[in-house]
Amino acid sequence: MTVEEKMKASPRPDIEPVNKHDHSSTYTLIRKVWAWGFLTILIIFFSIASKQANNVDFISLRSVQGILTYATQILLIGLGETLIIIVAGIDLSAGWVLGFSAVISALVMQTLFASGASPFVVIPVGMLSGVAMTVLPGLVNGLLIGRAKVPSFIATLGMGGLIEGVALLVSGGYPIVKQPPYLGQIGNSSVIYYWPDHGITFFQYPVEAMSADIPNIQVILPTVVLVTVLVTVAVWFILAKTQFGQHLYAIGGNFEAAVRAGIPVKNTLLKVYILASVLAGIGGVIWAARFSSGAYNAGETTTLNSIAAVVIGGASLFGGEGTIVGTVVGALIIATIQYGLVLLGVVPFWQFVAVGIVVIMAVIVDQFGRTLGK
Amino acid sequence: MENILRVENLTKRFGGLTAVDNVSMDVNVGEVIGLLGDNGAGKSTLIKMVSGVYMPDEGSIYFKGELANFSGPREARDSGIETIYQDLALAENLDIGSNIFLGREIVRKYLGGLIKTVDRTKMREESGKALERLNIRMPSLTQQVRNLSGGQRQAVAIARSIYWNAKLMIMDEPTAALGVSEQRKVLRLVKTMCDQGVPVIIISHNMQDVFAVSTRIIVMRRGKKVGERITSQTSPDEIVSLMVGADGVGEAMVDLDSAED
Repeated sequence: MTVEEKMKASPRPDIEPVNKHDHSSTYTLIRKVWAWGFLTILIIFFSIASKQANNVDFISLRSVQGILTYATQILLIGLGETLIIIVAGIDLSAGWVLGFSAVISALVMQTLFASGASPFVVIPVGMLSGVAMTVLPGLVNGLLIGRAKVPSFIATLGMGGLIEGVALLVSGGYPIVKQPPYLGQIGNSSVIYYWPDHGITFFQYPVEAMSADIPNIQVILPTVVLVTVLVTVAVWFILAKTQFGQHLYAIGGNFEAAVRAGIPVKNTLLKVYILASVLAGIGGVIWAARFSSGAYNAGETTTLNSIAAVVIGGASLFGGEGTIVGTVVGALIIATIQYGLVLLGVVPFWQFVAVGIVVIMAVIVDQFGRTLGK
Repeated sequence: MENILRVENLTKRFGGLTAVDNVSMDVNVGEVIGLLGDNGAGKSTLIKMVSGVYMPDEGSIYFKGELANFSGPREARDSGIETIYQDLALAENLDIGSNIFLGREIVRKYLGGLIKTVDRTKMREESGKALERLNIRMPSLTQQVRNLSGGQRQAVAIARSIYWNAKLMIMDEPTAALGVSEQRKVLRLVKTMCDQGVPVIIISHNMQDVFAVSTRIIVMRRGKKVGERITSQTSPDEIVSLMVGADGVGEAMVDLDSAED
């Protein structure tokens, strides 16, 4: 039998896929759009419900800023979580790292302030030391996961427990109070203070304003929101534009291929876990400033909320997919639910139920999209 | 013909097993070598020595006329020996350009190299050129590799190797997972590469493919090179008899036929 005859004799079904593109673009579209749609629906729902229940306008400067402030902590952990989920990992220690950073910075500030140092020295030093210390858990996570090949789930679960314990030991389990006076002011300040007929000041109330004038002054853009926005833009740039970001997608997309292509996989993993830890550290310092204290459990519920935000934002837990914009929308959705339920006067425990339902919905949409994609 | 690869008396042992036993071969510009053999015949081990994955126990490898002592696959690749394995090593979530430049992205440096941004436009342009050189047409360069067919993925993997100046291409079962028309496209691509001066070694179980595309066939059995034929001067039957050993021909033919059903 000649080759030609053999080729004819054993016809294989032609499995050349014809046009997968139509389906998968639908799938991408659903994944991209649904979160925005859901956020819109939530806002409409809470607008109607809060009007009905308490005659309160949900869409107001006050509640928008409230939601944004709620979202900051979810987002700061969510940013790092996005990068890690893109490399097909997960960081379960982030919330505890946030608490650890809050405790360390609060402790440093308390001690320095008690020794008589100026608040203008105490606050920056305290904040920097809180963030600097979070390099350690990130480094250990990165080494365990990148070099010792410990699954990220286990490594960060262990690290979470460890760092919770350390924060408890350091703080004795109590909130660390007696902070320098300006700390709370900074943490709760806004960028713009607009006093009609008097003018605008930045970062503080006009000096001449009496307490009776306070209700007349419009407070715009909380400082913590501004800081979070700046950090978010920086992380977006890293992920979307830099070679490091490109390598994260490559590692998540095909680990073996990334290794063979000469991508420094171990170092990239090390960097991404350190970065995520430091972002949680920034969250901890912000917490300390907002509440003028440090508590080991400051981020206890944030880890899961932020992972939820990342998943809602379209990231795949199998790696290779996810964007910062998606995570921002996800964080806004969770913050809107939390804030909206508070505004409605619902028992706070319902927040957990609501967020849980949303996460399951996100996964269903993801699955539905995948089926369409095939 | 210009010689690219010369392998002399290569031997590789794993414990008591001699996986490759005193094998010599030549690859010249303009050739497509079909490397055939049953499972365990030593094809993969031989190829892995050439591509720097294994160090030979005995014998020597000359690449472009020089003695090559590759310390690892990276070094072999840097000097121009590209190996495309069955899994293709593509990141499905990235577009064609990102895959061609995987790990070797075109970057713009800022702040003295502290910040390196990826130049996607440039990468896409260069990818377009690389594909054009091989007469490969893609619906869109911005597509994720996930949305490409098996043959198109092969094409991306091949274009990547060619772009990075492959001097010798080794392909492991390039058509194994493809439909018939896709198989033909890939085989045409192999010929194009060969015409452009990049010789190819194809490892395959598929006799039809090897006969369709190769210029020379090397047959291995139990670690030894048992035959070498010019493709146009041999037949599948002769090759099969070399693969299984003369005494087992009848038996093996039955096996082959039933395996194809």
